[in-house]
Amino acid sequence: MLRIDGLSVNYGAVEALKNVSLDVPPGRVTAVIGANGAGKSTLMRTLAGLQKPLAGRVLFNDEDITGGKPEDIVRMGIALVPEGRSTIPDLTVEENLKLGGMWRTHAQRATSLTRVYALFPVLGERRDLGADTLSGGERQQLAIGRALMTGPQALLLDEPSLGLAPLIVTQILELVELMARDSGLAVLLVEQNAVTALRVAKTGIVLNLGEIVKSGPAQEIAQDEELRHAYLGY
Amino acid sequence: MIDFIDYLLGGISSGAIIALMALALVLVWRSTRVVNFAQLGQAMFTTYIALTVRELTGSWFLGLIIAMAAGLIVGVIVHFLVIRPVKRLDTSGAIIATFGVLIALEALAAMVWGGDPEAFPPPINNSGYEAFGRIWPFSPYDLLVLASVVVLVLALSVVFTRTNVGLAMRASAFNPEVARLSGVRVNRMLVLGWAIAGLVGAVAGVLVAPLSTLSPTSFDIFLVFAFTAAVIGGLDSLVGAVAFGIGTGLVIALVSGYSDSSNAPLVALVLLVLNLLFKPEGVFSHHKARAV
Repeated sequence: MLRIDGLSVNYGAVEALKNVSLDVPPGRVTAVIGANGAGKSTLMRTLAGLQKPLAGRVLFNDEDITGGKPEDIVRMGIALVPEGRSTIPDLTVEENLKLGGMWRTHAQRATSLTRVYALFPVLGERRDLGADTLSGGERQQLAIGRALMTGPQALLLDEPSLGLAPLIVTQILELVELMARDSGLAVLLVEQNAVTALRVAKTGIVLNLGEIVKSGPAQEIAQDEELRHAYLGY
Repeated sequence: MIDFIDYLLGGISSGAIIALMALALVLVWRSTRVVNFAQLGQAMFTTYIALTVRELTGSWFLGLIIAMAAGLIVGVIVHFLVIRPVKRLDTSGAIIATFGVLIALEALAAMVWGGDPEAFPPPINNSGYEAFGRIWPFSPYDLLVLASVVVLVLALSVVFTRTNVGLAMRASAFNPEVARLSGVRVNRMLVLGWAIAGLVGAVAGVLVAPLSTLSPTSFDIFLVFAFTAAVIGGLDSLVGAVAFGIGTGLVIALVSGYSDSSNAPLVALVLLVLNLLFKPEGVFSHHKARAV
C-alpha cells in the first residue's frame, strides 16, 4: 500500500536518512525502531509532506506522492500523528476531532466521529471540554482520533509512547493493532520503546543513524540479542 | 456626576468603532503574525468608495455594502501584492511594507478624491435623545453604530465558533502544522483572515466617518487607539480586542471630557506602557509571554 523506495533526506546539514526502502502493507502494524537520532521522525515527517527528500520515491497505491504538500497527502489517505501529542489545547475535544477531514462529506465525518467515540469513550465523555484539560494518555487518544477523522488508509504514528505510562501505551497500541486487523488499515509505528512496539507489530525494522540495519518478522527482531545490545540499548 | 455619565455615553459609539478596528488588526495578526499598519488606510480608502457610491445613488446602505465588498477585495490584494513576497524574507519587513501600503493608499486617495476634508453626513439623526428634561449625548445614529457593531461581532463569533471554516481559521492560527496535517489549506485561511479584516475595517470606516470628516489621513489617529486596544487585549484574542476597544473608547471620552481631546493619544500611550510593564502578554492572550 505504502512503499518507500531509496529515500534520502537531509536534516539541516546532517544526512538523516540514507537510501531507506520499506513496505507498509495493509491490515497490520509495521514498526520502525531505533535509538534517538536514528532518523525515525524525519522518515515520518517526509512521508507526511512536512519535509522534502533529497532522493528516492514514496509510492501510495502505486501513485508517486514524493514531495507532496501535507494537506494533499492527508487527503489521499495518509494520516500522521506527530510526536508530542499534537492536539490544539485552545480548542475543545470535539473541535480537535472535527478539524480532521473537513473535505469529507457530512455523512462520512459523522460516521468517523461515532467510530472514534466508540474506540475512545473518554473522548466522548469530554467532548465539550478544552483539550488542555485532558491527561497525556487522553491527549494521545485525541491525536489518533483526529487522524482517524481523515478516513485514512495508512496511519503514521510517531513515538506515541513518549511520556506515557507503560500500561496506557500498551492499551493504545493494542487498540491500534486491532483496528489495523479489522479495517485493513496500514499502520507505520515509529518507536524508541522497542519492546512494546515489537509486541504489536508484524514486521520490525531497525533504523540506525539513518540506515536500515535489519528488518524481518517482529518476533525475530525482538529475540535477536546481538541486535538489542548493538542498537536498542537493553 | 452627570458629567461623568455624559462623557461615558458619548464614548460608547466611538468605543464600539475602535473595537471593530482592533478586531481587524487582531484578525490579521492571528493569521500571519503581522501588525497591519495599513488597516485603517484600507478603511479610509473603502470609506471614500462608500462616499462616492452614496453621492451617485443617494443610498447610505448601498455605500456600506459596496465598501464591505471593497474591503474584502483590498484585504486580499494587500495580502498578495505586498505581504506574500516580503514575508518570505522576514516578518519585520512585512510590517514595514504595511507602512508603505498606508502611505501609498493615502497618496492615491488624495489623487482620486482630493486632500481636503469632506463631510460624510450620518444617514439618520445625530442629535442626542431628549429624556428627563435634558438632552443626552447619545443619538439615534449612535444607536445605529452600536447595533451594527453588535451584529457584526455576533456574526463573526458565529462564523468562528459554529462553522467549519471558522474552526479551520482558528486551528490555522493556533497550530498551522497540525491544521495542515488535518487537511486544512492553511494558506487560504490566511488570505481569508486578511479579507475578513478588510471587511471589518470597512464597516468601521463608514461608521466613524460621520463623527468627524473624511480625509486621506483622518483615520490615522484611530490606528493609535485600535493598536492600543488590540495589544492590551493580547493581540490574538477577538474577545480582548472588542472588550478593550470599547474600554479604550470610554477612557478616551473621559479624558477628553475632563481635560482636552488632544490628550487622548498620550493616554493611549500610557495605557500601552502600563500594559507592557505589568502584563506584557496581554490580558486575553493564549500565549504566556510575548517578545516586546
